[in-house]
Amino acid sequence: MTDAQRTRKLLTGNEAIAEGARAAGALFASAYPGTPSTEILESIARRGDVRVQWAPNEKVAYEVACGVSLGGGRALCSMKHVGVNVAADPFFSSSYSGINGGLILVSADDPAMHSSQNEQDNRHLARAAKVALLEPSDSQEALDFVALGFEISERFDTPVMLRVTTRICHSMSPVEIDLSAPYAPVLRGGYQRNFRKNVLLPANARHRHESVEERLSLLEEFGERERALNRIEWGDRTIGVVTSGVAYQYVREVLPDASILKLGLTNPLPRELIREFAGGVNELYVVEELDPFLEEQVRALGLHPVGKEIFPITGELDPDRVARGFGLEAAGSGVEPIETALPPRPPVLCAGCGHRGVFYTLSRMGVAVTGDIGCYTLGALPPLEAMDACLCMGASVGMAQGMEIALRAGGDDRPVVGVIGDSTFVHSGITGLVNAVYNGGAGTTLLLDNGTTAMTGHQDHPGTGLTAEGDSTISLDYVAVCRAVGVRRVREVDPYDLEALEAAIREELAAGEPSVIVCRAVCRLVDRTPIASPAELEIECPGCGTCFELGCPALDGSSGQAVIDPSVCCGCALCVQLCPFCGLRIHGHGAAALESAP
Amino acid sequence: MKARNVFLTGVGGHGVLAVSRVIADAALAAGFDVRRSEVHGMSQRGGSVVSQVRYGTSVHSPLIPRGGADILVSLELLEAVRHLGALRRDGVLLANEQRITPAPLGGLTVEYPEDPRGLCEARVERAIFLPAVDLAQALGNEKAANMVMLGAFSVLEPEIPEHMWLTTIAGAFRPRFREINVAAFGCGREIAAASPVVKVQP
Repeated sequence: MTDAQRTRKLLTGNEAIAEGARAAGALFASAYPGTPSTEILESIARRGDVRVQWAPNEKVAYEVACGVSLGGGRALCSMKHVGVNVAADPFFSSSYSGINGGLILVSADDPAMHSSQNEQDNRHLARAAKVALLEPSDSQEALDFVALGFEISERFDTPVMLRVTTRICHSMSPVEIDLSAPYAPVLRGGYQRNFRKNVLLPANARHRHESVEERLSLLEEFGERERALNRIEWGDRTIGVVTSGVAYQYVREVLPDASILKLGLTNPLPRELIREFAGGVNELYVVEELDPFLEEQVRALGLHPVGKEIFPITGELDPDRVARGFGLEAAGSGVEPIETALPPRPPVLCAGCGHRGVFYTLSRMGVAVTGDIGCYTLGALPPLEAMDACLCMGASVGMAQGMEIALRAGGDDRPVVGVIGDSTFVHSGITGLVNAVYNGGAGTTLLLDNGTTAMTGHQDHPGTGLTAEGDSTISLDYVAVCRAVGVRRVREVDPYDLEALEAAIREELAAGEPSVIVCRAVCRLVDRTPIASPAELEIECPGCGTCFELGCPALDGSSGQAVIDPSVCCGCALCVQLCPFCGLRIHGHGAAALESAP
Repeated sequence: MKARNVFLTGVGGHGVLAVSRVIADAALAAGFDVRRSEVHGMSQRGGSVVSQVRYGTSVHSPLIPRGGADILVSLELLEAVRHLGALRRDGVLLANEQRITPAPLGGLTVEYPEDPRGLCEARVERAIFLPAVDLAQALGNEKAANMVMLGAFSVLEPEIPEHMWLTTIAGAFRPRFREINVAAFGCGREIAAASPVVKVQP
């Protein structure tokens, strides 16, 4: 490549990983959407040459990638940190079988939980699975480490975990790249069956475990010498800092003169290099986000670094937290912040969101509700407050059954309802339903179908009829799936019709057998066409506050009376149905349909 | 050049991220090292949006130390008040005068500060307030308010020449929005250039 073709461009870490995959000749990329990883696959798809797939969940995504690797192609599979839990089964075993074409699993961790339910540190998983672990610290490294990752994968016969964090994924920094370079997929042709390696029967797997241990030794030796990955930046030798990932940038910012051991390959660790570094500085520190992953291994070498006693184990690091740890004053002398409480601006269900009527109805029925992961988790917040639990993808269906067992045992006859979105249902709700049918559950599952993976920015999934490559495909029929697993009571209800919705939920809860109610309403951010003309207030509002209970952003109650913002209202008419004074009406577009409604 | 720290905020749908992207790209075109970060998540659902841009000869952290922003750009007044602590004591606040009441939580009275501008002026030495929405509306599209703010920002940054801003804006948006965006940028630039706050800038 000539210098003339290279340009300097700002890319997010996610875009850089995508470009890295393309430049390294990845044949295939797969993912299930999840913040902060989603844009990796989207960016690869936008380029239109690497084969891309949204999978129903992370396990399937990784398994398809394993198949591509076995067949000889380079494959990259991306997911958020908790997605790796779902993919853990094939991930751990793929460490034993090894690879054919290079195989990279991108784990996008979310310290500070900007959009997650926990802040697990997935470096532990790479170590537990005994695979190579790479941690880039900016976009250039994110790009470079993908190519390096494929090379390591193929040279050492290992899957590689590329571990990034929100501040890598969603931060931009300059990258040297030739965007016009042609795409050339790397293929290891001449696939040959290899029973001893690829069929993990116990006898083979015992033998493979030995290869895994040998591989770790070789990888460690490699890490001792490979300066693109692990390097010492000698500076003032009073303080020496071992660090990795985005924490490296904060250290450079806060202590520009300190000596730094910058680690890019963090499993296995280069023990000799660490000893050499420790021997060259007066005081040894480890600065890393979340768990003392590096620190504990440095201690195991008999060294005595300072780490988590001065740097927080929870949340993400930033220049202030790193400076405070080192006992330095924060750089700026800032404006005094306002002490008085300011009104918060939390995310809310959009005006006209099809989920709102469901949670409003549930909040009034005295039922226990197990929720799930998606926009609809906002139904747990005031004023709706219609959710008792939200644990992980797909948990709502199984948890509802379990909770019912315990409530009944305690003489509590409150019905339990599981609420799950369409994408989440496909991800891991179906097996929960199979369990309910098989084990004689009696609960009702509400399947909120908004026709997209909304929370992560509207990705397609097996129920939308479109692939990640933009082709139309067979769309999963939820009603048929529910019936096929043995649910006899399956019905569809318009979630904008509050009366019909409540009647349906009551009927199904009384039925004494598993049931599914599909509530279909396309996400308002996907289809912005107004449902009807905006609602209008026809009387002097007495301010009873009934409609405020909907928590609709088009309805302002701060004056004590309802005020509708016609630029936000899309005519869903939930408030019209609720007003006890019949003072809210819809005229114009859509009015007739509402009049004729039951 | 020592790292310039720009903290940007607003409400989902405001175009905060578009502004920060143009600043970052223009700074890169001007030959600086650049870092830019943003908080994704549920911004489309009415939440606060924050983005940070840092540029200079050499920058490392994508995040600005608290109280280290040279310029705080806010596309909404309550968000300006909320993030005042991000700004250096001698930094410049650049705020759109628009007020957007947060979505009501069950009709609970949301007390939007009575005089957000006064709260800012009491704490910040140098502030420019612009009726960016009205200005953009007068030009034909209120959505270009973010480009009015960008135009005002450009005056505070002598290290990036005007033509570089215009080239970056031209490359950043679809052609049919180019004219209005360039006009909005010019409008913000002109008004800010006449502001006494800018004249005290060394």
